[in-house]
Amino acid sequence: MTAQITSGIIAVLLAGAILYLVRRDHLHGSYALWWLAVAGAILLLGVFPPVIDWLGRLTGINYAPILPITIGIGMILLRMLKMDIDRSRRERQIRRLAQKLAILEQEIIEARHAHADAGEPPAAPAPAGLPRIAGRR
Amino acid sequence: MAEVVRGVIAATGADVLVVSDASSDATVQMASRAGATVIELPCQLGAWGATQTGMRYAQRRGYGRVLTLDADGQHHPQELPALLDEQHRSGANVVIGTFAERLSVAKRLAWRYFHLLTGIGVQDFTSGLRVYDRRAVRTLASRQASLLDYQDLGVLMLLRKNGLTLHELPTVMSPRRQGGSRVFSSWRMVARYMLHTTVLCFAQIGTRRRVAVHAARGGARS
Repeated sequence: MTAQITSGIIAVLLAGAILYLVRRDHLHGSYALWWLAVAGAILLLGVFPPVIDWLGRLTGINYAPILPITIGIGMILLRMLKMDIDRSRRERQIRRLAQKLAILEQEIIEARHAHADAGEPPAAPAPAGLPRIAGRR
Repeated sequence: MAEVVRGVIAATGADVLVVSDASSDATVQMASRAGATVIELPCQLGAWGATQTGMRYAQRRGYGRVLTLDADGQHHPQELPALLDEQHRSGANVVIGTFAERLSVAKRLAWRYFHLLTGIGVQDFTSGLRVYDRRAVRTLASRQASLLDYQDLGVLMLLRKNGLTLHELPTVMSPRRQGGSRVFSSWRMVARYMLHTTVLCFAQIGTRRRVAVHAARGGARS
């Protein structure tokens, strides 16, 4: 077995797995595009390793195989940075949503109390449209 | 807890809001029965997340000033009127109740360090006893304040960045009745806190703007 066949098999398996997962539609828009591009790059470099040597000559790097590794790690780092930025944004959203939820909940409870105090006699039927639920306190 | 709520109402006549950071004990009922409005967070947001909830509530209701204090009984309600007066008198956007005697050696060192980094001259930057005016509340209720974790330097830096003035008033306090400081509890926590806040400081470099912090003299009452 030659090295080209080995790398070709690995590339096809990886790209196939990515394609399968993307096609199952678990990824949001731009993420799917990113992963499709990754699958394409893996296929190209894995099936045609000479491309790597050609890239090495083009960039003047003696030991060409280090090129895809360096670029790959760089991309992974960038991707992780992007993930942490997204997570921070989400954390901010979650915090603000939780705060808003708590404030609105307090207002609902207060409105119910005010409604109860505004005074129909205890025997009066519940007003239509707003079911009377005893406040939690 | 109920004692603190009643004390604050008696001392200031203000509306009292208690924010429960998803606590499971009887705090909510006790505070509510003592006359406070209670907001219960659905999940734990930490000290600042809970405080900011109060800021957003105050902004929504159109309150002109917000006074924050810890609910563990270490701040004396009798001190509050002086703090409010000081805010009125000085016209500062924020007045911080400082506990000079409490400051340990470690805290003094931390203060020196952060003073060097940020140029903020507040002595007791972790004090939870503070008065905020409407502008300060608007700043702190905004999205830009939502990723802070404690009511400390991060908050002060944000206020300064927005051109608000800080003012300190020495006050007295008693040791905590329940629980310890969340920040200064163990060396590991302290190290983490220092690192975290240092990063926060570096993120703020370039936005530095000198704001005079006048320490009120002779304002302490006991």
